[in-house]
Amino acid sequence: MAPVLFFESISIPVPRKNIYRRLGFVKGVTDIPAAQQEEIERYIGHASSLIHLKGAGLRLPITEIKDARIILPDGAEFESLQLAKLLANCNEIVLMGTTAGREIMNAIEADATGANVTRAIVLDAAASEIVDASLDWIMDYFNQSLRRENRRLLGKRYSAGYGDLFLETQKAMHHLLQLDRIGIEITESSILIPEKSVTAITGIKAQGS
Amino acid sequence: MDKKQKILNLLKRRILILDGATGTELQRQGMPSGVCPEVWCLENPAAIEDIHRAYQKAGADIIYTCAFGANRLKLGQYGFTNVKEINKQLVVLARRAVGNRALIAGDISSTGHFVEPFGDLMFEEAVDIFKEQVRGLLAGGVDLFVIETMMDIQEARAALIAVKEITDHFTMVTMTYETNGYTLSGTDPVTALITLQSLGADAVGCNCSTGPEAMVKFIAAMKPHATVPLVAKPNAGMPRLSGKTTVYDMDPREFASWGKKLAAAGVNLIGGCCGTTPAHIAALKRASGRAPALAPVRKSISAVSSARAFKIFNEESPLLIIGERINPTGKKALQQELLDGKLSIVRQMAREQEAQGAALLDVNVGVHKIDELDTIRKVIRLLSTGTSLPLVIDSPNMETIKAALRIYPGRALINSISGEKQKLKKLLPVAAKYGAMFILLPVTDNEIPETAARRKEIIRDIFRAARSFGFSKDDVVVDGLVMTVAANTGAAKETLKTVAWSANSFKCRTVLGLSNVSFGMPERKWMNTAFLAMAQAAGLTMAIANPADRELMKVKMAGDVFMQKDRDALLYIRHSSEYAKTDAAVAPAVKSSPGQDIYGAILEGNRDNIINLVDIALAAGMSPSGLVDDIMIPAINRAGELFDQRKYFLPQLIASAEAMKAALARVEPRLKREEGGRPGKGAIILATVKGDIHDIGKNIISLMLKNHGYTIIDLGKDVPAKAVIDSIRRSRPDIVGLSALMTTTMVNMEEVIGLARAGGYSCPFIAGGAVVTKAYAASIGAAYAKDGVEAVRVVEQLIESFSKRRISK
Repeated sequence: MAPVLFFESISIPVPRKNIYRRLGFVKGVTDIPAAQQEEIERYIGHASSLIHLKGAGLRLPITEIKDARIILPDGAEFESLQLAKLLANCNEIVLMGTTAGREIMNAIEADATGANVTRAIVLDAAASEIVDASLDWIMDYFNQSLRRENRRLLGKRYSAGYGDLFLETQKAMHHLLQLDRIGIEITESSILIPEKSVTAITGIKAQGS
Repeated sequence: MDKKQKILNLLKRRILILDGATGTELQRQGMPSGVCPEVWCLENPAAIEDIHRAYQKAGADIIYTCAFGANRLKLGQYGFTNVKEINKQLVVLARRAVGNRALIAGDISSTGHFVEPFGDLMFEEAVDIFKEQVRGLLAGGVDLFVIETMMDIQEARAALIAVKEITDHFTMVTMTYETNGYTLSGTDPVTALITLQSLGADAVGCNCSTGPEAMVKFIAAMKPHATVPLVAKPNAGMPRLSGKTTVYDMDPREFASWGKKLAAAGVNLIGGCCGTTPAHIAALKRASGRAPALAPVRKSISAVSSARAFKIFNEESPLLIIGERINPTGKKALQQELLDGKLSIVRQMAREQEAQGAALLDVNVGVHKIDELDTIRKVIRLLSTGTSLPLVIDSPNMETIKAALRIYPGRALINSISGEKQKLKKLLPVAAKYGAMFILLPVTDNEIPETAARRKEIIRDIFRAARSFGFSKDDVVVDGLVMTVAANTGAAKETLKTVAWSANSFKCRTVLGLSNVSFGMPERKWMNTAFLAMAQAAGLTMAIANPADRELMKVKMAGDVFMQKDRDALLYIRHSSEYAKTDAAVAPAVKSSPGQDIYGAILEGNRDNIINLVDIALAAGMSPSGLVDDIMIPAINRAGELFDQRKYFLPQLIASAEAMKAALARVEPRLKREEGGRPGKGAIILATVKGDIHDIGKNIISLMLKNHGYTIIDLGKDVPAKAVIDSIRRSRPDIVGLSALMTTTMVNMEEVIGLARAGGYSCPFIAGGAVVTKAYAASIGAAYAKDGVEAVRVVEQLIESFSKRRISK
């Protein structure tokens, strides 16, 4: 079985379009004067300098998919009908987790309590989108390795808390990915800390599938 | 003639042809999924020998051993530990297949782990892993090495160092770039080229990930800066899913048609990666085997790099500022932080200097009683990921420089190597091994020369010594040696003479540690700035200075214009217009009434000037209540309308709300005096429920409601149900707002409402948060608002109906 891979510093281009979209920008409708645009860009740049992306990835064989249960080695399992359907043609999965780190959260919290709420919401949106894009990066990484095997990941990924995959699944993900090694903790209510941290599951298509 | 020279001679004559894909060919030969390819080849030697032979017959000059993943970590995943023997036998198979009709390249690729500072694999461990593989490949008798499909520049460095520390065999390094022109770790082809060729790679290039079209661009970008031959091994186009399998679209003819374009861009070794076959290589050989080989256009390059950027020291480039602040001399806070092993100030200083326009960062960690080796390693790791600027390693301690160069994932500039005998003897070989540039400091063991004439002699002596290690003038930056004019009024003139001679006669790049010139003088800033301008005119390349000094940076930019190093003064004009924009932002554009100005400022989210505008309006006689009711509330309502229409997006709405909040705070004391206290519109408790730590949405609601005259009792986040009930009992609010972001915490809203009702509290609840829907809110007996603007409307309706109910009761 492959070991957990840790990525101590993930570097990605800032996903500007997604950040603007998350903040409610609609092309052709929303009108941003130059001064405000400059301010928002400055905050996105600030967010980028405060975010230190770290990640972990793990390739695991699927022991069995039984009804809605995806059974993994060593007894770990996830329960979700939708995920089971997604992984129907896969014999392996990739688990992944990333975090933006604590510094960005400290800045957001300091601003959000009233110091500069405008900046806080831009930092918040930027952090959410950058963390999400870092999962794309991990998928690209695995795809690059898989290319040699003439295999690839599914185009979609699934996160705990969405659809019928309970948020509590995040505890198993946290454990399997050893996320504490990259500074991610998990609360009783299955919330990852720092807040801008995410996990996801995707499948590796079997050769010729 | 040794093999390396033989390959170099071949490369002078023609383009060498490399083999094509091995992985996809092995699958064609029946290799099943999930096996270890290297061991499968040993168990099925005929399959891999057929592939090698077919490529050699197709015209490949160089065959890669099938040892791509034959390192300790990859083989270990399949339970194999005999790394050396596996590698040796893979070479034996290749040799048996092609004999001496082709050269055999020992193939090394990624361990699958990123190397520190980008991943969890320690640098020395990575070097050790690759050395083990190199020894196996050498035992098998390879002719050369190839380090390929690397996406982490640090792992490529580790592999290259491993080869170079064992043998002098010809070694190619190819990185894999995405279609956006960067590796997954953010390294571009020119940055990788500058790092790898200076570290001793004999050829550098790209393979896999993209087809030949993208690689033409990568090769063309690298060629002007290459001192070594360039390599391209593209895929047969981009992979595409066809039915149930991955296919590559380019047939041999189309693939080969790109050979001439790659040759014209300057490639010297060319082959194929995923999806290519012997037929592709045969077609490529026919199309480009006779194309003239473009030799490297230069023998040396004056350039440094980080993991993600490079800086070329051209004569035409503007003066470069080396940020000087990461140096603990005279900085107590930084000294203490370095001693404590904390690095937040270092990170902040790097970030600020980069934003202020530094082109490189000087790094010095010399503090009394510090473990300098450990500290420099930590700082290099931090800055390698925390800034894209190349680093200048600054230390009088030779071991510190050596430790830094070993792990720095780029080409560094050493500050400095002087004519002191021990330094020359020990540092020059270290600088040569890691391919670093160095600042040449014209002092000796016994002398700090005062005159330019004597400095010239020492510069020549040091350079002569450096040349014997392979350094050229492109690799050296001469320090003009700045001495204070407080001790010798002629000192500055001698320094300027040294700079002028170095730049114009010796033809070398130059640097000054600017601020020494004014040591002991009053008003040092002006002396430093004037000295910079004069040195610039003398031909200075770079200065070690503080980029936060605005006057200095402005003078530098003006100087760049005068020295014709800023084409059409574009940089100067752009920089000046940014300042002008800042200045304009605080000045009203057209004459309008004070009320209109405040309305406009709120609508535009102008928080910087709003207090000033309120003061002007009050001074002009506007009543505080009139300002609030007739100007501010209509302005924030208009912002809300624009948000509803999506003409504004969230940052604009919040900027407006914050402008209004600032204005209200200014008016409030006068409002109280004017009316004896305005009656509040209602009191609202806000809380993010137990278990949930996400509260930015709740803070936005708080801001919006406060602006509309509500009193907010904010209980914060992760608030237990009992704490909410206690607050209801104490404050008797008009409304309670609950927020939650997660499905696991959303259910805690119901508990709060249940407890409130059980306690006899009838106040209305409003619920919100990412996962909360109108239906869910209704199911737990709460109203719902999707955002801040709607929350204001819903709260108004709830208060109105709640008061009516109270009255009717």
